[in-house]
Amino acid sequence: MKNLLLCWGGDWDLPSVHTDSLIVLAYAKFSGAKLAVKSIDWTWRTITASVPQLHYEASTVTEPTQILNFLRKQRFNADYELTAKQGADTMAYIALLEEKLRPALLHTFWVDADNYANLTRPWFTSHSPFPLNFFVPGRQASLALSRILLTKAESPLLNITEVEGKIYSEAKECLNLLSHRLGNFHFFFGDTPTSLDAFVFGHIAPLIKAPLPSGQLQKHLNQLDNLCQFCNTILKNYFNASAEKRTDCSPTAIHDPVDANLQKLTQLVNKESNLIEKMDDNLRSSPQHRPNSTPPS
Amino acid sequence: MSLAAEAFVSQIAAAEPWPENATLYQPLKEDQILLSDSASSLAVQTFLRMCGLPVLVSCRANAEYMSPSGKVPFIHVGNQVVSELGLIVQFTKAKGHSLSDWLDDVQRAEMKAYMELVNNMLLTAELYIQWCDDYTATEISRPRYSSPYSWPLNHILAYQKQWEVQRKMTAIGWSGKSLEQVYEDVSQCCQALSQRLGTQPYFFNKQPTELDALVFGHLFTILTTQLTNDELAEKVKSYTNLLSFCHRIEQAYFKEHDRESQSGSLHHSKGSLP
Repeated sequence: MKNLLLCWGGDWDLPSVHTDSLIVLAYAKFSGAKLAVKSIDWTWRTITASVPQLHYEASTVTEPTQILNFLRKQRFNADYELTAKQGADTMAYIALLEEKLRPALLHTFWVDADNYANLTRPWFTSHSPFPLNFFVPGRQASLALSRILLTKAESPLLNITEVEGKIYSEAKECLNLLSHRLGNFHFFFGDTPTSLDAFVFGHIAPLIKAPLPSGQLQKHLNQLDNLCQFCNTILKNYFNASAEKRTDCSPTAIHDPVDANLQKLTQLVNKESNLIEKMDDNLRSSPQHRPNSTPPS
Repeated sequence: MSLAAEAFVSQIAAAEPWPENATLYQPLKEDQILLSDSASSLAVQTFLRMCGLPVLVSCRANAEYMSPSGKVPFIHVGNQVVSELGLIVQFTKAKGHSLSDWLDDVQRAEMKAYMELVNNMLLTAELYIQWCDDYTATEISRPRYSSPYSWPLNHILAYQKQWEVQRKMTAIGWSGKSLEQVYEDVSQCCQALSQRLGTQPYFFNKQPTELDALVFGHLFTILTTQLTNDELAEKVKSYTNLLSFCHRIEQAYFKEHDRESQSGSLHHSKGSLP
């Protein structure tokens, strides 16, 4: 019996633009579970379904953690080789992602006026059927806003603009922590991806790939090379996406020419300053100024 | 606080040493304080003891309203008021006392992750059990929360608080959970903590850090508070290394105050650890 997964559709080189759906899709790839994926774009399910939703025979499972548990019970387990401590670490890092990174992600996509008007709302509007396209994005946006305000805004910070500073700084710290933890490894626990990799991928992939008009968090993330590499590796190996074509974030493509240019510039500047020094020495050492003396080339 | 204000406060904090009359404010111990607030308060007290900083505990009925962020406990040091464990840790660090300086980057990442796990799971579960479970809310939470006030204010405040917590639970998706699922989550969280602790004395082996203080605060309070049923405490008790961890910290940091504080501690407390 096949598993059927309902989720939002894909764009920007990603199989899905929705974080929770991406988590489930990535985990399914890692654990080898075969899922029939059905996108809810352009159906009435955009307003009724809480995606992602897994249908198996007669039962329905929602929420990424529940779906992952369900897949594990069906013996699709990507965490099989983890030690007990690593399993505990997984839970802890997932909590860190939820608490620190998700509010900022919600803000970037749904509350920030620029991004919402130019990217998120048009995308979701164009992927919902008439007349739902009037309601769906607005409802998601207000849910996101209320979640941020209820969990992060305490009494002196009643205003969303004050909360913004706090949630973005926490998100940047969280990204730095993840980067430290990942180090130079391919995945968080060695050479094979696990559920933690799925969660991290689900959260950061939209942030890396979406063409956001105003993305301070995106800029910060682009500076963390190992996280970008991590995301591209997963896309390349597990989703056969055209990750090579989009080189916004692949560090080697961008940084090499920059580094090479920088090196050339530095060499030129050094040569110039050497020349100037020599000229200066010559002029000082000569007892009379010889205006026609040519500098050594 | 905005970022600039935080930086400013750190600057001022760094200027003066820790005074003798630093005070920690929390709701009334006997009648008013609830499980989640008591856990947070104990975590802060443990942290300050681990740093060797003296603090007086003062119980006020309106502690929640005095706090700058609406959360208890908060500390009043010199001419500054700081609430919540995260900010208090930053504040003491600015004064030059820190428990986690010796950790490297990866360990610090782990520590922060585990602290978030405790906040995300244990604290949210405590709030859920107190306010979203009808029986507990009616028998314990509402009467205790509103005990210092007279009618009709006590009803209004209690229901307002309950409604606020329920809204928060809906926002993070916990309102659909049943009590059984919440107990299961607590159990999983304790399992993760137990596996991380292993046989070490503290979470980062040699010395205690703020993570140890936070975990101790929550676990000890869960173990010694009497709710409508004992299921929460039973979940924690099934992990023996966590129990011995709590004993160890209690012995190390609270032994001289044991007699005084335990006998007069939480109204529903069963005294010291079993």
